[in-house]
Amino acid sequence: MTDPASAPARGAARRTLAGAVVPPPRPARPGLRALSATVVVVVVAAFWSVDIAWDRLADLPSEVVRYLWLMFSAPDWSALPEALWQTWRSVAMAWLGTVLGILVATPLSLLAARGHGPAPLRGALRLLFAVIRAVPEIIIAIVILSVTGLTPLTGALALAVNGVGTLGKWGYEAIEGIGRGPVEAVRAAGGSGPHVLRWGVWPEVLPAFGSFWLYRFEINVRSSAVLGLIGVGGIGDMLTSYTQYRQWSTVGVLLVVVVVVTVAIDAASGALRRRIMEGARARAVQP
Amino acid sequence: MSAADVATPVRAGRAGRPAPVPPRRPAGRWRAVAGWAAVLALTALTLAPGIGVEVDLGALARNWQNGADKIVALLQPDWSFFPRTVEPLLETLQMAVVATAVAGVVSLPLSLWAARTTNPHRLLRGAVRGVLNVVRAVPDLLYASVLVAMVGVGALPGILALVLFDVGIVVKLVSEQLEAADTGALEAARAAGGTQLQVNRSVAVPDMMPGFWNQLLYVLELNVRASSVLGLVGAGGMGLLIDAVRSFYRYDQLSLIILEILVVVLVLEAVSSAARRRLV
Repeated sequence: MTDPASAPARGAARRTLAGAVVPPPRPARPGLRALSATVVVVVVAAFWSVDIAWDRLADLPSEVVRYLWLMFSAPDWSALPEALWQTWRSVAMAWLGTVLGILVATPLSLLAARGHGPAPLRGALRLLFAVIRAVPEIIIAIVILSVTGLTPLTGALALAVNGVGTLGKWGYEAIEGIGRGPVEAVRAAGGSGPHVLRWGVWPEVLPAFGSFWLYRFEINVRSSAVLGLIGVGGIGDMLTSYTQYRQWSTVGVLLVVVVVVTVAIDAASGALRRRIMEGARARAVQP
Repeated sequence: MSAADVATPVRAGRAGRPAPVPPRRPAGRWRAVAGWAAVLALTALTLAPGIGVEVDLGALARNWQNGADKIVALLQPDWSFFPRTVEPLLETLQMAVVATAVAGVVSLPLSLWAARTTNPHRLLRGAVRGVLNVVRAVPDLLYASVLVAMVGVGALPGILALVLFDVGIVVKLVSEQLEAADTGALEAARAAGGTQLQVNRSVAVPDMMPGFWNQLLYVLELNVRASSVLGLVGAGGMGLLIDAVRSFYRYDQLSLIILEILVVVLVLEAVSSAARRRLV
């Protein structure tokens, strides 16, 4: 290793006569500088222009403490049975939405995958998935409720439509990501297109698909609580009405139920997903 | 695979025949069958009248015309409505940007706090993680509806709801990234005599920054999508307008709003995926 002082290469640390180490100059990155300037300007402009009563922010902590006290100091547990019932309705909505979404998205994702569907259809389907993903599910629900009314079915259908966007995308990405081996093996054995899908593609992607389905169910459980806000029923509906009437002791109980149910479903589904993926890996290494 | 399955063809061979019998299917197939059965049972339960989601096909048939009218209205956006949507759209974007910035400032130290490699104190780490797990479990719109009652209508409850939601996501993703990162540099810094704070400042923070910006971009996308509907509960932005046109059944105006959200989200997605490619 050469002494940095004797070989003052460009960019290397140098010593001044006094012996202090001078770090190498930072590389000039004008693009990065322009980008960070833009980000700063946008953020400052947003802060400066947004219409907020900043003075309310000062007493926010005390307000939050006050409301938390109202919610959780004397929770009204008499609302618990109704809350659990409405939670079940939300979860049922989420489950049905997931199942319907899977039934529609699975064939569509096969058609959208490179090498399995016709090319023009592929582009159209990918655009459709992107558009669906961009629209919040609550807006989809507002459109659907003109047909089905304010029923849990509206919620389930909205979640299903939204699920087609995400499941479709994950699906074709997973199908395109599998190895060529099984597909070529089926072809070599004389299998037709459907045979390739059934015996080459399907066994390869099933663990990934199962994991996506469970993950989508977790998302739907959260979203189904939100969909109640427009009145399709479930725990969100109950929460909005009790918040509007400022029944804080009940709102506290409802929030506890939402948190416990969501965390429990996430934990169960997460454990199942890990098992699916690790089980698949263990099988793959067997000779 | 159990031993019995492997033994089957051998036994067939010992009986004097050539062994054309394929090996038996591996045991444990009942699990797959049981899984599908459970899925079917749960689906049937959610469809059961009285306890599940009521599917009223009669009502569907009756209201089909109504729905078709709405869809026709949706296909003819009312362009003259555009001037009135500009201000709410800007407010939606402002809320998203402000919330992302605040969430970034809050979640940078919290991420370091929540990762094993940058915070060796098991109890403090567990406390932050536990609180954030609870925070993450509540959807943003529920936060917004409670916060609107607390601090009044407007952009403020919307921003607060988004910040709560974002911090939960960013801290989880970034702290997981920190824990997955190679610990060599951290150990070197510690061996050079740095305190935990110095080690984090000089090694962990520069190391996590690309991932951190990446997650902030992701959260910004989520925020734009979410803040466009937060107004449904009174938290400012596009949602207030959605609520108004919805109650007047102006589906032609709703269609313009959907189109605008769509364009904004798709543009943002394109920009952020370009930025992400340069980042990572």
